[in-house]
Formats: sequence, C-alpha cells, structure tokens
Amino acid sequence: MIQKGKVSSTLLNGSLMAFILFVAYILHFNQEVFYTAYDRSEFLYGSSFFHILFSRPFSLIEYIGSWLTQLFYYPALGSVVLLVIWTFIFFAGINAFKLHGTAKALMMLPVSCLLSSVVDLGYWIYISPVRGYWFSQSIAYLIIMLLLWIARNTPRKCHLLWYVFAFCSYPILGWFAILFVLCLIFIGKPSWRENIGVVLILFAARIWHILLYSNLKFVDVSLGGFPCFETSLDSSTRLTIPFVILGVVTVVLAFCGRYLTKIIVPLACSVACILFTWLFMFNDKTYIDEMRMVRYAEQDNWKEVVEVASKNKRHTASMIMLKNIALMNEGGLLERSFSMGSVAYPIYNPDSVHVDFLEIASPIVCYNYGMFNESIRLNFENAMQSGFSPFHLKSLARCSYACGEDNLLNRYVSHIRHLLFHEDWQPYPISDNLKELVQCYPEELIGVENSDKYIVNNVSMWYESDSKLASEQALYYSMIRCDSGRFWASLRKYVKLHQDASFPKHAQEAYILYMDKSPEEKRMMLPVEESVYVRYQQFWKVLEKRVKSGVKLGDVKEQMHEEWGDTYWYYIIFGTMKY
Amino acid sequence: MNRYSQLSVLFSAVAVMLLSSCVHNPDVPVSSTEVQNTPDIFPDYCDVTVPCNIAPLNFMLSSEVYSACVARVSTPGGEQRIYGKGVKVQIPEEEWHSMLEVSKGKSLRVEVWGEKDGLWLAFSPFEIHVAEEPIDEYLSYRLIEPSYIVYGYMEIDQRNLTSFEERQVFNNKVACDSPKGQCINCHSYQNYKTDNMMFHARGTAGGTIIVNDGKLKKVDLKRDYTISSGVYPAWHPTAKLIAFSTNKTAQVFHTVNPNKTEVFDSASDLILYDVETDCVSVICSDQELLEVYPTWSPDGKSLYYCKSVPLPEDMRDKDIRTTFQKLQYNLFRRSFDLATRSFGEEELVYDAAMANKSVSLPRVSPDGSYILFAEGQYGCFHIWHHDADIVCITLGEEMPLRLDLSKMNSAGFSDSYPSWSSNGHWIMVASRRDDGNYSRVYLSHFKNGKVGKAFLLPQEDPEHNIYRLKSYNRPEFMVEPVEISVNEFSKVFPK
Repeated sequence: MIQKGKVSSTLLNGSLMAFILFVAYILHFNQEVFYTAYDRSEFLYGSSFFHILFSRPFSLIEYIGSWLTQLFYYPALGSVVLLVIWTFIFFAGINAFKLHGTAKALMMLPVSCLLSSVVDLGYWIYISPVRGYWFSQSIAYLIIMLLLWIARNTPRKCHLLWYVFAFCSYPILGWFAILFVLCLIFIGKPSWRENIGVVLILFAARIWHILLYSNLKFVDVSLGGFPCFETSLDSSTRLTIPFVILGVVTVVLAFCGRYLTKIIVPLACSVACILFTWLFMFNDKTYIDEMRMVRYAEQDNWKEVVEVASKNKRHTASMIMLKNIALMNEGGLLERSFSMGSVAYPIYNPDSVHVDFLEIASPIVCYNYGMFNESIRLNFENAMQSGFSPFHLKSLARCSYACGEDNLLNRYVSHIRHLLFHEDWQPYPISDNLKELVQCYPEELIGVENSDKYIVNNVSMWYESDSKLASEQALYYSMIRCDSGRFWASLRKYVKLHQDASFPKHAQEAYILYMDKSPEEKRMMLPVEESVYVRYQQFWKVLEKRVKSGVKLGDVKEQMHEEWGDTYWYYIIFGTMKY
Repeated sequence: MNRYSQLSVLFSAVAVMLLSSCVHNPDVPVSSTEVQNTPDIFPDYCDVTVPCNIAPLNFMLSSEVYSACVARVSTPGGEQRIYGKGVKVQIPEEEWHSMLEVSKGKSLRVEVWGEKDGLWLAFSPFEIHVAEEPIDEYLSYRLIEPSYIVYGYMEIDQRNLTSFEERQVFNNKVACDSPKGQCINCHSYQNYKTDNMMFHARGTAGGTIIVNDGKLKKVDLKRDYTISSGVYPAWHPTAKLIAFSTNKTAQVFHTVNPNKTEVFDSASDLILYDVETDCVSVICSDQELLEVYPTWSPDGKSLYYCKSVPLPEDMRDKDIRTTFQKLQYNLFRRSFDLATRSFGEEELVYDAAMANKSVSLPRVSPDGSYILFAEGQYGCFHIWHHDADIVCITLGEEMPLRLDLSKMNSAGFSDSYPSWSSNGHWIMVASRRDDGNYSRVYLSHFKNGKVGKAFLLPQEDPEHNIYRLKSYNRPEFMVEPVEISVNEFSKVFPK
C-alpha cells in the first residue's frame, strides 16, 4: 500500500515536472511570437478605448487582458505572468474540484488548453479581431476557479445566491459565468430553488441584451467573450477548439474529476497535454524569423535583419523586402542580395488565412523607401481590422515625423508614451538614405496598391533620379522585375553615378544575361570579370542538361539550388517573385 | 465596536475618500511669477464667445511642460470659483451653468496659474464672453477613423451640447451579419428636428433608412434612370421631400502630396425623393457637368447646389486623374414651386471658378440672408484639402458680400462641412486644424455678420480630444434628440 502511494506520488510529481518543463520550453520557443502579440495588440490610453471595450460582455476582462498584453514587450515577463496565472489556476482548480492524489494531475488539462490557445494562432496574430486575447481567457478561468472554490466552501443553502451572482456577473465573465454555473450544477445536484437560478442563467444573454447591450446583435452578446475568429475574409473554427475542450474538460472535472484517481492518470494527462499542445502549436521557423526581422526593422537594426535573413533559406515576400532594405542601409544590395536568396516562398498557412506582405511588413517597407503617404494608408487599412497596436502607432508616428506633421506626431506620441515601458519613446531619426529617397518618389495619383509588386515596380523607375542610392535601387528592382528595358536604363544611370565603384557581382550577372538574351535592347559595353562569365556559361550548360534529361522544372530547381542558388540567373529561371 | 459598526466606519471613510477625490477645489498659489501672455491652454478657449447654455469649457495645460494647473473663474458679479486637478481644469456642470446664467451678455474672467519646475507662473487673465443666444441642444456626428478603403467600427452619435452626454443613434455592426459591417453615413434631419430624419447604410442589406413622422422604413433610391441611389441629402424644410445628389464617386491616393487622398465624381446629378409616395424625380442631370450637394433655402422656395465648371476643351476626354485639379465647382440655385413640384431655371449665385476656387457643401442661414460653404482650390471633397476654408457670403444682394471669417478658419488645415444653428447665431464646422488628420467640431458665434473666434467642442476630459482616434464627420445641429433606439433602427433590416 505504501509502495503504491509512493509510486503514484512519484508518477504525479514526475508528470507534473515533465509538463512544467514542456510549458517552459513552449513559452521559450514562442518568445518572438509573444513580442509580436504585444506589437500587434491594441491597448489605447483614454476613455474612448475604455468605453469601446465596455460596450459588450466580457469587456472588463478584455480590457485587463489588453493591458497585460503590453507585458509581452519583454516576452519573458509576459510569459512569467502567464505562468503565474496558470499556476494559480492549477491550485485553485484542485481545491475547487476537490481533487486528491493523482487526480490533481487533471488540472494540467485546462492549463494545456490555455497554453495551446496562445501558441496556435499562426498568421491570425496579424489580423486577430479579439482584444486582450492573450491573457483574458486565462484570467477569467482563474476567476471562476476561485469562485468555485469559495462557492464550495459556503453553506449549501447559499448556493442559490451563487446562481444569481453568476447571472449578475455575465457582463464581466461572459461565457465563463455559464461555465461556472454548469460546474455548480455538476458538483451538487441543484435543489428546486436552485433550478430557478439555472433557468436564470440560461436566459442571461437574452436578458442582458435587453438591459445593457441593445446596441449589439444578440449573437455578439450570447457566449460573450468566447473567442470568435472571424474577419470579412476569414474565419477559423480550429482556433476555438482549445476553448471548447476547456469547457468540456471543466465540466467533466466538476462532474467526476475527484473519482479519477487511477495511478495512470498523471502520466496519461501529461502525455495528452504535451501531445495536444504540440499538435496545436503553430510551428514554423520562417514564421518566427519573419517576426524577428519585422522587430529589428522597426528598430532600424538592419544588421540583425541581414543576420536573420542570411540564416533562413526560405524567405517570404516580406522577408525579402526587409532584407533588401537592410542591404540598402548596410550596403551590398547588388553584391549579396541574390546570394542570400531572392526567391519568395509562400507563407506556411494551413488555415489559408488572407495574410501576406500587406499585413506583415508593408507599412515599414513603404516607410523605408520614403513612401510615407502609402505607409500611412497601409497602417490605417491594417489598423481598421486589428486595431491601433503599438506597431501601427509607432509607424504612423514615424511617418508624421518624416512628413513634418508635428501636431499629428504629438497625438501618436502621447498615445505611445502611455503604453507600459514607453514613457520616453520618440521616433528614430530620419536616416540620410531616407531623406535621399524621398526626393526620388514622384507625386502622382494611385489606386489601391497593397502589394510588394507596386513597390518593386515603382522603385525600378527611379533611374531618372540623380541619387546614387536611388540608381542602385532602380537597377536592383529592374533586375527583380526581369525587365531588360529598365535594366539598361538603370544600368546607364548607375554607372554614371558610380564611376569610382566596382561593378557589383549581381549586376554583372544580369549584364551578361541581358547581353546574351536580349540583344535587341539598347545595350552598353562594360568589362565583366571572366570568372562570372565562365560561371554563366556553366549555368546554362547544367540547366540545359538537366532539363533535356526530362527532369521536372521543380526538381531541377531543387537540384541546382545548392550550386547556383546564389546567382541572379537562378532567380530569373526559378524565382517565384516575378513582377 | 461590533462588526456592523466597523463596517459602517470603513464605508464612511471610503465614501469620504471617494468624494474628496471627485470634488477638488484647490487654492490659488500663494506666490507666483507673472507672465505677460495668456496661457497656452488646450483647447484654446481664450477670449472666445460661447453660448449661454454650452457644457463646461474644461481645459488643460500641457503635461509635458507643467505639473499642475489652477484656474480662478470670476463672474461679472464678482463670484469666484477655483478649479484645478493635476494639469486639468474640469468644472462641475451645475456650477458652470450657474456662472453662465449670471454672465449672459457679459464675460467670465479666467485667471490661470501653471506650476513649472516647482514654480508657479501666473498668466495674463483671459475672458470667456457669454452670448445671450443659446445653441441648439443637440449635435450628431459620425465617428469614423480618417481611413482610406477599409473601415472598422462606425457609429452615428448624438451629443448633448449643454452637457457631456453622448449617445449612439446607430452603429454599423448591429444590423449586419458580415464582420465587415455596413458603411453608415449622411445622417440628415428636417428642420433640425428628428421625427423626420434619414441616414444611409451601405453594404449587406443596405438602403436608406427614413424616419417619417417617427415611423421607420428602409428604401432603395436607385432607379433605372439615376446614376446611383441617393447620396448627399437635404430635407425640404416643410414638405416630405428630400433632394439628393446621385454620384459615381472614386477615391485615389496621392503618393507625396500632403492632402493624401482625392475623392471625386465622374458623374453626378440631383434627384428629388418624395417620402410619402416613394417617387424619385430628376432635378437636373447635365450630361457633361456635375451637380452635387443640394441644400434648401429656409423657406423651401430655392434649392442651392454646386455645379462643376466645364473643363478646357483639350482636357475633356482625359482621365480625371490628370484633370482633377482643374475641376472646379460654382454655386447655383433653382427656384422651387412646392405646389407643382417643379424647379425653375438655373441661376449662378457665386462664381468661385473665376477666382480659381471651388465650392462645396453650401448651407443657407435660417433667416435666408447668408450662405456658408467650404471653398478650396479644386474639387468638392474639401475635408482632405489643407487649403479649404469656410466662406460666408450675403444673399439677396446684387454683389454678394464676403464676410470676414478669419477668426473661424484655420491656416493651413482643412475647414469643411459648415452648418448653422437653428437660431442662426452659431456656426459649426468640421476642422482638421488640430493635427491635419482628425476632424474635430469647432463652433463660432455669429451676430450681425460678425463671426467670433472658433472654439473646440468641449469635453468632460479635455484629453479626450487627444486620445479619441476618430474623426467627427458631418456634424449636424438638432433641437431635440433622436428617440428611436439602435435596436429599433436595426429592425428595419432583414434578419
């Protein structure tokens, strides 16, 4: 008997330890995701935001959740707070459900659901319409665990009051108030008097809709606070699964949790939790690297942007544009760009959610090419969906600063300085490069241009400018567009403005290619390195040989990547980023 | 002491603490250094003329510069009250209204002290002139981000101008299943009253929502013979008729120009909608030129509107993106016979194009003697034009006289959407003077052709003007609130 107790205690502690280590690992793995959560979550100072949030059920918790999301500015700090909340949930739940012995391990299940819910968003992180998502569900769950604990320690005759309390707390707790009542029902069979309370909670949403929320649709009041991932283009039921399971698990724990004391329970729970979270987590290195590059780009830390880009071999369109800006600022765009990879891969997107360059990086990219009006517009287009997050406020502030709109800058800065850890925030100085590029951007009227294609097309026409920097950009983007006409025009201007500089490697590659393949164009004669020319001949020989042997182009692309992936020729044959 | 006594003591202590935090009447600083200029308060209420029933003009000093602010307000009778908490001066509504009551036709004197680096500065006092004329009790506006293509949450709100109460008239989510919501716009009232009013809801299950003697209906104003459904509305002052423009509107964006956005029409006509019979008739539909922004004279016998000037011959077939800066509008009117529902010949009222200008959004004063409009260098969507100002001219004279509105207009920022209060003594504009981007409501006193300094719509917390990231769009005076609830409005939409 003693041995059995020892085994179960060891199993319980071991399972708990394994789960804790797993949670710590997952939180550590997602640090960049958490920073992005802070960066793309709206929390605004002032009564306006407060009142907007207070206009629907669960809004107080959402407000607190939005405030706490600022802690992810230091991802480790936010993670610790989440861990603390989950630890409280664990112990409060044990007491609320009166779990003993190995049954205590069952409280890993709700924690696992909450953990999964913060690491499964994937690209929804850029467009999520749910305010305060990262903390609100955990906070509300902690509150009902504490309430349940207190309720179980009050005399049975007071239970009717708890049902009434649950009804009254619906505007604050939303769907958790209903979950609380369900737990009460399953913990102890309600008396006939308590059934009145049950009936009351069934109609809670309808009654509160009439009393408080008549400006909302009923569907937005019912199950208030239950995360709903829906935008005008996308919807996801997958992301609500952890919450459905959370609800079911909680009711099951209330109903029979205290009887599940088999020795195997801790092990089964920890395995189930680890598997569930691992399967649900959005796990993609490029997704993380892309976030990292955006963060560094926001800080004008171009060295680190280049560093991250050089370590990732599967760039998305956003990463390529950020890498190009970084190389523009750090130098070497025409020497290193294709070596680092200029072939854009689609984002890993199992949900088929409509997120791309527009939502991820477009405002920063436009800003750094001196396209301030366009950056402002893109910030607004994005903020209409996901709110005025720090990312958008800072980006708008930088644009206002660059445009000399001081009063507007002050408005944005006032907002930003009320965010945690931002008391002294001010926009980064406008770089010399930016001042130079602004002069090259011509005034014209444009339509809705949301893609990287517009930027590439626009910059490739800067060859008429007398700016050295602009001529380099024009040359590069004419190469990216595979546009021989613009290439020769850009090259002429580039050579004219860079007379003491050497002929950059990728420009040489493009030069040889266009000399060879576009003989009808107005060309110019320039000396190229023999090694580049020899390599060019080899490239075509290898390509012809592989293609003639009947291998599919996709396979040829893979086969040739190792040796030729660093060349412009590889990009022009296999690149998916054609404009 | 038993438990209940302890609780009551605790409760009293908390109540006293709460009360003391709500009501804060500081003393003026014992010693201070005099400064020879008026304080740089936000909003700027120095030497403004305000209605005798306006909500408290709460203001603040910059928290970046000052750590505290104290203001002493003196009535003409010598009564003095002192306010200030932090850098804000927030005056209780009751006290403010009692001070206004005794100051009608006279002025309140305001002395301000600001604490900077531990030292108190005493600024030169300023006055707030209290007009005898009240302002309409209500105001409604659409709250919307100065957005571009995508829009988010949108609401039409009504604000009580004598207090800070703000209540929703309608929002764009309540009647729509799509997460995108509808685009709601162009709220309009007959003669400042709300039993006959309307607004549009575009998008899913959209239409024009009309309140006819308090009864709601949703109508589709598009006909085979009209360009579009009704757009910019104007209620006839007495009959159940609404004049609309119908427009084919496009939006494009400047790459560099600080105006950022251009909105223009490629086609636009005027129609008349009979609310009782649901009939739409065409008022004017020039094939070449664009008619827009109808507005009635207060007697209902004339319809004023803006009409474009023909483009130079060589520009007529060109893309509007290249000619938009040459597109200018003049102000016209037609007489209207209510009995026959017929309009007279077109008559030029104001030739703006001659001065290389363009007019939009005309509004005739309630006594019919003046007309206000927005004027910019080109186009008809002046809220995005930094050079746009409000102009007021006299009516009924052979040579219209242009009034001096320099105290009302801002320099270098858009002033647009002017309107008159029902008694004709207050002018309201939507102005972007605060930062060039967010429209705010400014009010000016008007008497005998003299226009007072514009002042910002007061808010309970002056910071609210900074932190609300929404524009006040289409501000309209009302003499009574909209009594129909959001929920009732939503019921006209199919479920």
